[in-house]
Parts: sequence; structure tokens; C-alpha cells
Amino acid sequence: MRFVVISLSALLGLSPAAVASPDMSADFQTKTLPLLKRYCYECHGDGASSGDLDMDRFKTLADIRGDKPTVAKIIRYARTQVMPPPDAEKALSLADRDALADALMVQLYDLDPKHPDPGPMVLRRLNQTEYRNTIRDLTGVSFDPALDFPQDDTGYGFDNIADVLTLPPMLLEKYLKAADKIMEEAIPPADNPKKKMTEPMRKLFVRYAGQRAASTTQPVNFDSNVARAILTDFARRGWRRPPRRDEIDRLLKLYDLARRNDETFHGSIRHAMKAVIVSPSFLFRGDVSADPARNVRPVSEYELATRLSYFLWSTMPDDELLDLASRNLLRRSLDAQVKRMVASPKAHGFVENFAGQWLQFRNLDAAHPDGKKFEIYDDRLRDSMRRETEMFFESILKDDRNPLEILTADYTFVNGRLAKFYGIPNVDPGMREFKRVSLEGTKRRGILTQASILTLTSNPTRTSPVKRGKWVLESLLGVAPPPPPPDIPALESGKQLTGSLRQRTEQHRADPNCASCHAPMDPIGFGLENFDAIGRWRDSDGPDKIDASSSFTDGSKFNGPGELVELLARTRQNDFYRALTEAAMTYALGRGVEPYDQPAIDRITAQLRKPDAKFSTLLIGVIDSAPFQMRRADNFQRTASLNGMMNSVASRSDDHRHPGETP
Amino acid sequence: MSANWQIHRRTFLRGVGAAMALPLLDAMAPSLSSVVSAATSTPKQLPKRMAFVYVPNGVTMRDWLPATSAGGEMTLPRILQSLIPYKDDFSVLSGFAQSQGFAHGDGAGDHARASASFLTGTHPRKTSGTDIKAGISVDQLAAEHIGDQTMLPSLELSCDAGKRLGSCDSGYACAYQFNLSWRSENMPMMPEVDPKQVFERLFGDTSRGVDSQRARSRRALFQKSILDFVSDDASRLRARLGRNDGRKLDEYMTAVRDIEKRVERAEKLAPKLPAGVHAPDEYDGFEEQTRLMFDMLALAFQTDSTRLSTFIVSHEGSNRPYPFIGVNEGHHDLSHHQNNPDMIEKITKINSFHARQFAYFLDKLKSIKEGDGTLLDNCMIVYGSGIGDGNRHNHDDLPVLLAGRGGGTITPGRHIKVPPRTPLNNLYLSMLDRVGAPGVERFGDSTGRFDGIA
Repeated sequence: MRFVVISLSALLGLSPAAVASPDMSADFQTKTLPLLKRYCYECHGDGASSGDLDMDRFKTLADIRGDKPTVAKIIRYARTQVMPPPDAEKALSLADRDALADALMVQLYDLDPKHPDPGPMVLRRLNQTEYRNTIRDLTGVSFDPALDFPQDDTGYGFDNIADVLTLPPMLLEKYLKAADKIMEEAIPPADNPKKKMTEPMRKLFVRYAGQRAASTTQPVNFDSNVARAILTDFARRGWRRPPRRDEIDRLLKLYDLARRNDETFHGSIRHAMKAVIVSPSFLFRGDVSADPARNVRPVSEYELATRLSYFLWSTMPDDELLDLASRNLLRRSLDAQVKRMVASPKAHGFVENFAGQWLQFRNLDAAHPDGKKFEIYDDRLRDSMRRETEMFFESILKDDRNPLEILTADYTFVNGRLAKFYGIPNVDPGMREFKRVSLEGTKRRGILTQASILTLTSNPTRTSPVKRGKWVLESLLGVAPPPPPPDIPALESGKQLTGSLRQRTEQHRADPNCASCHAPMDPIGFGLENFDAIGRWRDSDGPDKIDASSSFTDGSKFNGPGELVELLARTRQNDFYRALTEAAMTYALGRGVEPYDQPAIDRITAQLRKPDAKFSTLLIGVIDSAPFQMRRADNFQRTASLNGMMNSVASRSDDHRHPGETP
Repeated sequence: MSANWQIHRRTFLRGVGAAMALPLLDAMAPSLSSVVSAATSTPKQLPKRMAFVYVPNGVTMRDWLPATSAGGEMTLPRILQSLIPYKDDFSVLSGFAQSQGFAHGDGAGDHARASASFLTGTHPRKTSGTDIKAGISVDQLAAEHIGDQTMLPSLELSCDAGKRLGSCDSGYACAYQFNLSWRSENMPMMPEVDPKQVFERLFGDTSRGVDSQRARSRRALFQKSILDFVSDDASRLRARLGRNDGRKLDEYMTAVRDIEKRVERAEKLAPKLPAGVHAPDEYDGFEEQTRLMFDMLALAFQTDSTRLSTFIVSHEGSNRPYPFIGVNEGHHDLSHHQNNPDMIEKITKINSFHARQFAYFLDKLKSIKEGDGTLLDNCMIVYGSGIGDGNRHNHDDLPVLLAGRGGGTITPGRHIKVPPRTPLNNLYLSMLDRVGAPGVERFGDSTGRFDGIA
């Protein structure tokens, strides 16, 4: 794994760029405009204005920037292949589509890769998973917030999105209660002499108070300097940064208060520690270090350690990361650290939380296949299915394979139960452990044919080609179908649909109102119809023989899951890499991707397209990107080069402009 | 962890000695021997309560609307059969609309809009994460007026934990579908989903018993010291941050202040656990969970722990199957029934099931004596959905029931038809007047008060 050391001077070269460089204007005239004319004017130009869209008015760069919402929509419709419609005279090739969309992005938002805007600095509350893991690593206590805390909200498909992780009063109440429970488990009260401290607490006491104080929770006497040392160390790990002197002084006050009220040494430390894990410095992460007067700057090394750790491990940085950060050596050691982190068992957090949410298999429990129709489906089979997909993803991560193998792999992981379920020979049906098996000679290839995915995209009693198609488009290809047109007629007047599932689905699609979205979606689902609602192979659905052949609007045809997977991997690689990159960025940054992230995403996607790309290409690309490495300063101001994009996010950008504020 | 805690969760009122430090809420709850019920006994002063019970995906309207005789006498239809015994305690209101649930140019996402607009009357901003925005909900508006009169300003309940992953309805953040109550335009009030947790919120962890006054005040002192510490932390950090980043810390500080206020109120307002009532056991299945939640809601009203509540029986757009009543398909999938009679039949079954749980709740409220009447007499309970017909996703012609007599200000037992598209918010304004938050001039698209309930 080779880490591309980013040049900070390049990232920080912040001389304001010229407004709308002449090059960009010329590019629009010579490259973009002809594409619009060629593919869009049939219905939206030369006087035509279908759907109230008239592109004749987009003659110059200034014209498109004057109507950002419309042009943003054009980009989205092109990317999602909703436009041009299937019956257009000239079909838009994938290459031209990418050229058009990429160029329009740059021109519309005035993107300048040389002067990246890392986006807003966000404070992120630990979500349930992160809280649980962090408490485990910090205190040695296994506490399951799922039993006590309200469920976190999700946004952009992930549960670690800063903006939706709110903190209502009820939750703070839960944090206070949890702190009591957790710390009393970590340092048990003296009236329970049999209970010992947890390992991390014991170590802390050994280091600063000696062996004897570490082996008991009975009254002992120490100078308050010992308490100060213990609390400083604990707060540093808990807050993922060195505590300031005033913070420690205030913690010591809590210790003193407890001491004055007849609390033991241990009990008084415990009291102060409760405050550490309810403090906003524990519950929120984000770079709050004081700030020089610059537009953007690298995040502190401590913040970088934290970002890395929650990205790859879903938990707090360990001693090695904090230690490197304290010596300002982390940026220089990223290559080795990422390698170490991926190899660690904690990287399972990435599989479970990133892959599990991106591909949605973490939610397999929410699928409820009908018990009568699918008697074979039980909790053990379900857990085996999920485990298969986890191990599959984990092997691609740890063996550092090309991410496209997610789609195409001719191997998977099964235990005895799953091997029997799939009909894979030469596996002892009683085998409980999972092993890697070849899929040669079977009809399965890659994630699309794994039972977990096939089950979670089905209805309880039957398959749903629409749901499967939508899953592939949204998760794997990143092209969520746009919402139905606002004036879609109500279904009430519709007649009852009849025939096989496929025929019914096709009748629905025959309605022109539905066709534009269903045309890219349904064929994918048809190609997977050989798998029933829990992922078993079948040749017929009741009386209806399965027809797994279909075609896309560009005319490409396939028959069955094998050809479908092959076709997607060959023709939709770029979409796949972009979808994966955008998902990883969203997860890593805790916010949706925005136009100013485009240069970073383009760069990572381009690297992934190279023949020697590996999974680490993605990880390093994300970690190496401006949004991950940098932050806007408190007094961030629009430079000329940033003007374009700031207009597009006006409501938020205003919040980041505090010209009068001193750091 | 905690085999230990599991035991605590399952036991209750076990007379153990003073534990060293109890969780926060126990410090707020006074010892059981010293509490005085906040509810007084003269009818005039009986508090009025307001609750909203939400069911998703609309209903089969033809099986919901009562037939009405010339004299206004209702003949209850299929879905409402289980409510026959309480026929004189509620009215069916038909014709109301929550117009901000409609797309207004925002395209798909009727489920998200239905629940986000139901109590807020606002059009939620279409975003899947950044900048969620709806509006303050009617219960929270009431809480601003009367919330300080009870230990809990309001109580939010749901049988559905938020979605564990994935996006929700058509580009809308999941927050819109899993919350009904909004404290401000960007602060949804997350509901409790576990009846036992609700119980502990009301009465503390009664499993650890009761301890001495001295131990209690010592604990209160300790807890106050932690609140002071973190509040200080938050303001120091706040000072270092810009406006947008600071929003999270503003939330934090609001939460700290809320808890401080509760600690203050706890001494005089903490509810008394009625004799013979104990913490709920673990539940088995959806029906039991729903009923336990209704039990908790009744208990909260009975003990005057709060006067305002919202309860999401199942979240809008829910695809929960109901195999225990013979419906193995998902609710949402079925609601797009395309006029298939089998599917419509199953939707009616689900609607009837929900109504049956509501009947259980009304029965409970009616069985609790209060003053010269029953607890139900002093309630105003809206039961309904933000979607009319699940197949059409319409937000007018909503199914709405109003139960209770609002302390003698409401005359139930009727089918009240209003002109099409009458704003549901008109009803809310009339309810706000009655619950003790009078004089609100407008709410959402309200065009006046709806006093047809009087």
C-alpha cells in the first residue's frame, strides 16, 4: 500500500483564483455546449421546451451559473440516465454522459482542484455504536446503549451523519444515567469489596497510585496530585486530546467535593470520571482547537487521529495513534498506520458499519420472510447469510483486492448450513465455521447473488424486481432514481393488474409516467428473478416459468444473473466506483457530499479506474482528500474562486462566515 | 454488561438498602413515602390532558367512516367495531386536511411529509441529512405554556425504534418518519420505545428501593456538581466555535438546562406510584408492546406526570407484517393495493387491529376514576393518520378520531363532517385553547378555530 503524501503547501496555496477563468468560459463554449445541443436540443432547444425546460437560454457560462437549480437537475438526470429518454433520437453514450456531467459540475460550481474547499467543520455526536465501542476501549465496560438510548437517526444512508445526530434533553438524561452505571462497573463501589476494577482502570491506578491502590476499592489515602495524574490521563484518552489545565482544575474540584463528602479515594476519582464521559468533549468529536486566521488549514493531528480511528475502527484512537499525534508524527506515518489499522480486528467496525450500511445488510433483521412460505428461514440461517456478506467484504478489505470484485467475485464464504442452502458441494453440512469456496460451476457471482442482499430486497411473501433494481441503482451505482413527476396521477383510477409478477411489473412500466424511472430499474430485478425471496435458486415461480432476460435502454441485452453481473461490471464500472467513493466519503466525513467535494471524488474515482487499483486505493484516497485532512477556519471567507460554489449552498455558507470573529 | 443490570431491569420495588449512587432519575424522584400526588381532587382544578396517537399508511376509508342517521347517530363501521363500547366517548371527524403533507413541488416522499407535517402543520424541508427542518409541533407549543406544571413537560412514545440504516422515504431524512413531536424546527423529540424505560422515566428505577434523606441529598449534590461541570464545559467550547458548529453545543446546553429545571421541579411535582402498580415486564410481540405503551401513557396521565403526549403506534410508511392476525405481507406494500380486494381486506384487518389497541387504551382511561368522572373525561386524544388512503397518498380527507371530553368542553359521540380540506390545524387551535395554551392565533395553515367539537 503506497500512501500519497499530500503536499500541504499545495493544499494551502490559497491565493484567490481568478473569477471564472477564460479557460472555463471557453471550455463551456467549445466542449459543453455542443454536447447539450447534440443530446438535449431535440426536445429542449431550438425553440422546443418540453417539460418547460428551454436550453436555448444557456449560451454562456454566466447563463448556467444564473440558474443553478435547473443545471444541477440536468446533471442529475443525465447521470441517472433518466434523460435523454429511451425514445430520444440520439442515445447518450456513457462516455459522453460522464464528459458532460463532469464538465458541467466544474463549470457550474467553479471547482478548482488546486484550491480545495474542505467543507464545513462539523461537530459529530458519537452514535450508539461509536459510544459503545469508545466506552469499551476507554473503561473496559461493555455497555449496550441499544437497550437504553433512543435510536439514532440516519441521513444519506448512514447513522453517523453529524447534522441528524441531535441531542434532545432525553438523551442527555440517558448519558447521565449511563455514566453512573458505567463508572460503577469500572470502579466498583467500596461496599462491594468482591468486585474488581476493570482492566483499563486497574492499569491507570497502577501507573499513578501503585499496585496496592489498583487491587482494591477500599479506602486508601493519596495526595490529590495522584488524582490529578489519573484524571489527566483518563481525560486525554476520553477527549482524544490533551486536556487544558483549567479543565483538569475543574475535574479536581469534583474530586475534592466528593472527598469532602466522605467519599473514598476511588469513589472520588469515579465521580470526576463520570463528568469526563458526559462532557461535550467526550460526546462530540470535531476540531475545536484554536485557529489561525487562514481560510482553510489542516486539522490538528489529534483530530486526524480521531477521524482515522472512527473511520476505520468505529472507536476512539488507541495509544499508538494518540502518541503519534502528540509528537506531530501522525501525518508522516499515515501509510503504515492505515495498514496497521486495516489489519487490526477493530477494522471489523468498518465492515459492519460502513459496508453494512452502504449495502444495507446490517439491516437484514428487518426483513421478515413469510414463515409459512419459507419455513427454512430462521435466525440461524439469517445470521449465516449476514456473516457470509461480512466475511466476503472483510476479505476484499484485508486482502486488498480491487473493489470491483464486490460485484464479480467468483468466490464466497459459507458454513455447512449455507453451503447446503446454496447447493455448493464438498462442504460438510454440519460445519459451523465459515470457509472460502469457489463459485465455479454455480450460477452465483458477487454480492448481487448473495442470499443476504436478495432477501433484504424482497417482500415477505415474494420477490420484488423493483426493490432489487432500486437497490442496485442506489447502492452499487449511486444513481437514485429521481422522484416521480409532481403531477403523477393517483393510482386509484388504475385498473387491477393481472398476470405473472413480471407481467404485472411490465404493465406498470407501460404507463409513460412510470417508464422513465422504471426503465433502468426493473430489468436488473428481472435478471435476478431466478433467486426467490430468500435467495434460493428457482426455475419457475408457481405456475410461471422464470424469464430472466431483459435489456437496458441503451440496447444492451442479457439473460440471467451471470450475464447481468458481467454486463454491469463491464459497462457501469465508473458508476460503481463513484458510488463507492461517495458512500465512503459520506461515512468518513459525517455529512453528505457536496459540489465542493467533487474534485476529491473525481480524483479517487480516476485512481480506482486504474488496472492496479486496490481497496486501499479507496481508503487512502479518502484519507488523503482535502475534506478529510483539512477544515475551514472559523473566519472562512469566500475567495473569488469559492464564490460560485458558495452561492449554491448559501444558507450554510453564511453560517461559516464570521469576518468579525477572532480566533 | 451486565448481567447485573438485566436483573435490575426485571425486578422492581425490591427492598434493598441504600445503594451508593443511584441513577439520576432516582435522585429526582422523592422517596415513595414522602410524595404527595399533584393531582387535586376538586373537579374544577382537574388538569386536562392532550395526546396524539398516530397510525401509518392511511386506512380503508369505506371501512372507517361511520354511517350517520338523520339525528347524527353513528353506526360504527368494520374498523371501529372494537370501539363500540366507547361510542359515546369519541367522535369521528371527517374531511380534515393537513395540506403541507402534499408535495408542493417536492415530488415523492408522502410518508415522510405525512408524519412530519401531522402535528407541525409545516412543510418539511426535503433533505436526507443536512439541515432537517419542520416546525414546532402542537404538543410542544402546548408544553411551552403548561409544561412546567408537571414533572415531564411532555412524553414521546413509539413502538418503532428509528431505522437502523438506509435512507428513508424518497430523499427525506429518517427523522421525519420516526418522530411526531418537534420541539423546534430542527429538534425532533425522540420517542421512547421500551415501556420499561418509560416507567423508569416516570418513577425512577424502583428496583433499588428507597434510601434515606441524607443519602438522597448527597446524591443530588453530586449530580448537580456534574451538571455544573458539563454546562461549564459546553459554554467554554461554545465560545470557541462559529455559529453553525455551535448549534450542537446549543442543543447540549438546552438539554442541561432542561434537566436542571426538572431537578428543581422534582421535589414538588414528582408523581406518586399508585398502589399495586409495578414496572412492566419484558414484552413479547407487537401487541403486547403497544398495550404496555398505552398502559404507560395512561399511568403518566393518571399520576399527572405529564399532560401532553404523542404516541407513534407504528411509523409512517411502516412495512411491518402482522402475521398474528393473518397478514404476512408488509403493511406499506399492501397499502399500495391497486384496488386488489385481497389487499384491501388485509389493510382493513391491520386498521382494525390498531383500533382494537386504541379501544384498550380508552377502556383503561375510562376505568380510572378522577373527580366525579373518569380520567378519559379530562382527556383530548386525537387518533389518526397523516395519510387518507394509502393507495393514493392523499393528505386530505384524513381519518381522525377525537376521544375524551376535554374536562367538559367537548361533546363526543358524533360523526362530525367538515367541509373538504378544512385545515386540521383549526382543530389543534381549539385543543390548545382547552388544554391551557389559549390565544394562539395561527398554526400552520389554520383559518380559524374549529369549535364544532364543543
